[in-house]
Amino acid sequence: MSTVSSPAARSSVRSDARLARELLRGSDRREWWRIGLTAAGAALATGFALAAVVLASLRGGHDFSVGHGLLDAPGTRAGVVSGLLLLLVPVLGFLGQCARIGAVHRDRRLAGLRLAGATPWQVRRIAALETGLACLLGSAVTTVFSVLLLLRLWSRPSGAAWAGVALVAVGVPVLGALAGVLALRRVVASPLGRVRRVRPESGRGPRLLFLGALPVVAVTGTLAVAGTGTGSGGRDHWQGPLAVFGLVIAVGAGAVWLAGATARFVGGLLAVRARSAATLIAAARLYDDPWAPARTHAAVLLVTVTGTVFLCVRHALLTELRAMEHPAADMSYYTTGLDLTGAAILVALAITLSGLAVGTAESLATRRRTLAAQAAAGVPRTVLNRALLLETALPLAPALLLAGAGGLAVGTWYSALTGDASLPWAALLVAPGVYASCLLAAATALPLLSRSVRPGELRYA
Amino acid sequence: MTNGDTTEPLLAAHQLVKAHGRTPALRGASVELRAGEILAVTGASGSGKSTLLHCLAGIVRPDGGSVTYAGQRLDRLPEKRLSELRRTDFGVVFQFGQLIPELTALDNVALPLMLAGAGRAEARARAAEWLERFGVLGQEDLRPGEMSGGQAQRAALARALVTGPKAVFADEPTGALDSLAGEQVMTALAHTAREAGTAVLLVTHDAQVAAYADREIQLRDGVVAPAEVTA
Repeated sequence: MSTVSSPAARSSVRSDARLARELLRGSDRREWWRIGLTAAGAALATGFALAAVVLASLRGGHDFSVGHGLLDAPGTRAGVVSGLLLLLVPVLGFLGQCARIGAVHRDRRLAGLRLAGATPWQVRRIAALETGLACLLGSAVTTVFSVLLLLRLWSRPSGAAWAGVALVAVGVPVLGALAGVLALRRVVASPLGRVRRVRPESGRGPRLLFLGALPVVAVTGTLAVAGTGTGSGGRDHWQGPLAVFGLVIAVGAGAVWLAGATARFVGGLLAVRARSAATLIAAARLYDDPWAPARTHAAVLLVTVTGTVFLCVRHALLTELRAMEHPAADMSYYTTGLDLTGAAILVALAITLSGLAVGTAESLATRRRTLAAQAAAGVPRTVLNRALLLETALPLAPALLLAGAGGLAVGTWYSALTGDASLPWAALLVAPGVYASCLLAAATALPLLSRSVRPGELRYA
Repeated sequence: MTNGDTTEPLLAAHQLVKAHGRTPALRGASVELRAGEILAVTGASGSGKSTLLHCLAGIVRPDGGSVTYAGQRLDRLPEKRLSELRRTDFGVVFQFGQLIPELTALDNVALPLMLAGAGRAEARARAAEWLERFGVLGQEDLRPGEMSGGQAQRAALARALVTGPKAVFADEPTGALDSLAGEQVMTALAHTAREAGTAVLLVTHDAQVAAYADREIQLRDGVVAPAEVTA
C-alpha cells in the first residue's frame, strides 16, 4: 500500500501546509522578502532554463526573425544554449543568497517546532513547502509568459520542446524545495538547532568539491580530445558535455574556495593588526565566517574574469574581422553574437550584485540585536557603516586584483593566438569597475543598518 | 548613600512619559541618580524598567518630561552628542548581546578605548587589566560564544567600565545566569563601581540582585511606586 496517497498522508500534508501558512502569516517582513526574492529568482531561473531547453530541442537549420541569424544554425544555437545555461550559475547563487534571508530566525522557528514535538520529516516537509511554493509561484508566472511567447514565435512547437517546458516548470520548484530541505539539516539533526558557533567553519565543502571535480574534468576532457582525434564521431558525445559540466563545477567551487580563503586570510591578517575599530570589527567578522559571503564573492570573481576575457576576445575578433576583405557573413552576424554575450555578462553582473546586496542586508538583519547594543553602548554609526563596507571591500580587493590579472592573462594569450598583440584599455577597467559596483551594492544596505541600530531592536532576542 | 542625601544628582529624570506604539511604558516616572550611588529599579515585567533605563542612558528619547545629566538636558541633545556621551560618560550592560560575537574578550573590552582614540597596543593592555580585575584574564583570547555566561557577562562589565564612566546602566545583568554566576557578576560590579565612584542604575526583578544596591525604587505601571524602600 502506498503511504503517499493514503488519506492520512494527504491530511498530514494539508496540516503541514496549513501550519506553514500560519507560521508565515505570523512572521515578520523579512520572511516576505525571502518569499518574494525566492520567487523572483525562480522566475529568472525558469526563464533562462526554458529558453535553453526550447532552443536545444530544435534540430537542423531554421529561419528565425530574431537574433540576426544566431539561432538559425545548430552550431551558433548550441553556443546560445551554453550561454543561457551558464547564466543559471549566478541565478542559482542569487537563489542561495535569498534562502539565507531570515535563515537564523527561520531555523529558530523550526527548531521550536521540533521542541514542540514535530518529527524531522514534518519539519523538512514544512521547509520544503515554504521554499517550494515560492519557487512554484515564480516558475508558474514565467512559464505562462514563456509559453505565450513560444506560441507567438513558433506556431507548432515540437513534442521535445513541450517536454522540456514541462520538465523545467516542474523541476525548478522541486529543486527549490530540495534546497530548502538541505539548508535545514542542522535543525533537523537537533531540536536546539544552531545555538551558537564558536569556531570558524573550515570551508571543507568547496575544497572537496573543487578537488573532486578536477579528476572528472581531466578524465572526461582527455577522453573527449582523444575521441575527436580518433574520429569516433557521434558515438561518444557524452565526454564533451561532461567535461564542460565538471569544469563549471570545478571553476565554481574553486572560486568559492578562493573567495573564502582570501576572506579568511585577509581577516586573520588584519584582525591582529587593526588600528581602527571599524577595521577590527570587519576583519574579525571576516575571519570568523569567511564562507558566508564566499558564494557571492565567487560569482563576482567569475564575472570579472569572464568580463575581462570577453573584452579582450571581442577586441581581437573585431580587429581580425575588420582586417578581412570578404568576411563569410555580414558584420552584424558577428557583432550581434558579441553584443549578446556582453549583455549576458552584464545580466550576470546585475544578478551577482543583487545577490551581494541581499547577502549584506541579511547579515545585518541577523545581527540586529548586537548592532543595536553597540549603538546603545556609544559605538558611532559611522564606525558601524565603515565596518559593513569594509567587510565587502577588504576581501574583494586582493581577490579582484587576482581575477582581473587572470582575465588579462587569458585575454593576452588569446590575442597572441590571433596574432594581435594589442589589448583593449577597457579590459583594465573591468576589475576596478566591478569593485566599485560591489561597494555600491553593499552600500544599499546602509539604510537597513540605520534601522537595525534603533533602540527598539534591543527588545528582541 | 541614603534618601536624605542633599548632593546634586548626577542624573535626574522628571515626569518621564514614553509609549511603544500605543502601549504606554512610562506615565510620568521621576527618578534621581547621585554620583557613586547604586540604585536598583525593580518591578514586574512590563512595568517600564528597561524603558526608564533607556531614557536615562540617552538610548531613547522620552515622549514627555526631561532627563538632566550634569546640568544639561539629555533629551534635547543631538544623536551624535548622545552617542559620544554613551561612549565616554556612560557604560551599558544588558542581559546579553552587548559583546561582539566575532571579537575576542580582549578586543571587545579594548574596543571602547580604540573608539576613544587609544592605540591598539595601549587599548589591549588596559583591557587586559580590566579583565584581570573581573577575574576573566586567561580567557582573553576566547570569543563570547566560547565563554560561560558568567565569564561573558564579567567581560561585558569590564567593557562597560574600561573608559571610566560616571554612570553604568545595567539592564538585568544577571538575567541569563545561574545564581552563583549572578552573585559573582554582581559582587564584581558593586565592588568595582564603589571603588571607582561610578554610579550604577541597576534594573532587575530579582530581590537578591537588588540587595546589592544602596537604594531601591519600584516601578508600577510606568510610575515610581510611592513607597520607596531603603536597603
